[in-house]
Amino acid sequence: MRAQFVLSEIWIGLRRNLTMTIAVIVTVAISLALFGSGLLINRQVDQMRGFWEGRIQVTIYLCNEVSANPQCQENGPPTEEQRAQIQTDLEAMPQVESVTYESAEEAWQHFSERFESNPALVDAADPEDLPESFRVALHNPQDFNQVASAFEGAPGVDNVYDERQILNRFFDLLSGLQNAAFIVALVQIVAAALLIGNTIRLSAYSRRRETGIMRLVGASNFYIQLPFLLEGAIAGLIGGIVGSIFIVAAKFLLLDGMQDYFQFATTLPISELIYVILLSIVLGVLLCSLASFISLRRYLRV
Amino acid sequence: MVGSDTRHHNLREHAPVINFDNVTKRYPTQKRPALEDVSIQVEKGEFLFLVGPSGSGKSTFLRLVLKEERPNDGRIHVAGKDLARLSNWKVPHLRRRIGCVFQDFRLLPNKDVFENVAFALEVIGKPRRFIRKVVPEVVELVGLEGKADRMPDELSGGEQQRVAIARAFVNRPMILLADEPTGNIDPATSIGIMKVLDRINRTGTTVVMATHDAAIVDSMRKRVVELEEGKVVRDQSRGVYGQAY
Repeated sequence: MRAQFVLSEIWIGLRRNLTMTIAVIVTVAISLALFGSGLLINRQVDQMRGFWEGRIQVTIYLCNEVSANPQCQENGPPTEEQRAQIQTDLEAMPQVESVTYESAEEAWQHFSERFESNPALVDAADPEDLPESFRVALHNPQDFNQVASAFEGAPGVDNVYDERQILNRFFDLLSGLQNAAFIVALVQIVAAALLIGNTIRLSAYSRRRETGIMRLVGASNFYIQLPFLLEGAIAGLIGGIVGSIFIVAAKFLLLDGMQDYFQFATTLPISELIYVILLSIVLGVLLCSLASFISLRRYLRV
Repeated sequence: MVGSDTRHHNLREHAPVINFDNVTKRYPTQKRPALEDVSIQVEKGEFLFLVGPSGSGKSTFLRLVLKEERPNDGRIHVAGKDLARLSNWKVPHLRRRIGCVFQDFRLLPNKDVFENVAFALEVIGKPRRFIRKVVPEVVELVGLEGKADRMPDELSGGEQQRVAIARAFVNRPMILLADEPTGNIDPATSIGIMKVLDRINRTGTTVVMATHDAAIVDSMRKRVVELEEGKVVRDQSRGVYGQAY
């Protein structure tokens, strides 16, 4: 095998179909960028889930004077005994890791601290509006339903609130983005594969004289096909590298921007970014080589 | 022991280089078979003319030898190999033992004479040093010494065909197939081409040449196989083109 010969053949092929080659590179780059961004979002969601699942709590709000719950309106705020009963019952549950009580006064204090910058809101609220509550940390956040069903409707309990619901709404948004990126990436990948097939076909056609002679003098199929395969692979590689630039941009502009906006405490480590980029490039090269190979089997009969 | 060795050697010596055994080839789109029940043996070192009108099956015969086509019936042996049992990936190795020359030369226009001939060796992975040694020898053998750096469009038709022959022969094949090699060349130049083919034949290479050119066949006085509508109608040693029987 003469490397120089093969390399010059590839170069000639890429140059001869310059416009097609550029089309291939652009399509591959876009599809890989979308694929990579989808993957980044996926990683981010996984990581945030892991981070938040350990921290989110279930809050059991107790009745107060303004509760809308009919049960509360009937019985009024919980008695000392009911409150103690709820606490003991909670602590007895195997799913529960810890229980913290927050009195109405503490709740008001937290509320006014949190919205210090928004005095209008604080003024509009009344200390009596805020209910007392139990903050419950679970061993496994998935056990929320068991806790909820045990306490919902219990005397003195207004409602049971799962913080996960807010988080899930956010995760749903990210998953939607991710799915959209994957779908567009898939369409683009199909387009890229067809384009590569066509490019290789053109390339095989414009070099039919050479390949015909190669066949006649007994060059091996591998030797005849290698320049075309590598032509596809190199287009895929360049497309992958361009796509990686988009992926890096997506990470620093899109994800990090979102992070600032939503203030999530987890940053995707660079190793994840590198993993996504490598995966995208490998995928690009494999995809292009495979498309070239299939196309060659049709247009370069040996 | 010596005796059996000799006999074995003789057997190999006498096995035909090309052996068609009741070969029939039909193309799907045509009603009449391109070759019908054809049996031809070509011995090592032979020079064979394949004659007959267009569509008589000459090109099909050559394509079958190269395993570019498969017969519908019958057996083909080339260089001791049963082509039906030769796996596809070994076909290139078969073709390395067969040189091919065509009416339209099939040179690469962007390569000079040396590069065109060297191409045949490059693509089968021969080392550069070997190529530099062998190519000038063959260029000289076909009578193109001093023209190794010419481009094909600077050469006459006859010279271009010499380049094509050099390329077909540079790997020292066992068999040289020539499909109408003088079809695009004037009669005077054709004689030169035939001299080159004869010279190659004298090195022990089997030459099979399909042709329409009666003058050449008559002048060479070699074996002639005539095909008509896919059938062998004549097989004559030291024959002529016309119906001389």
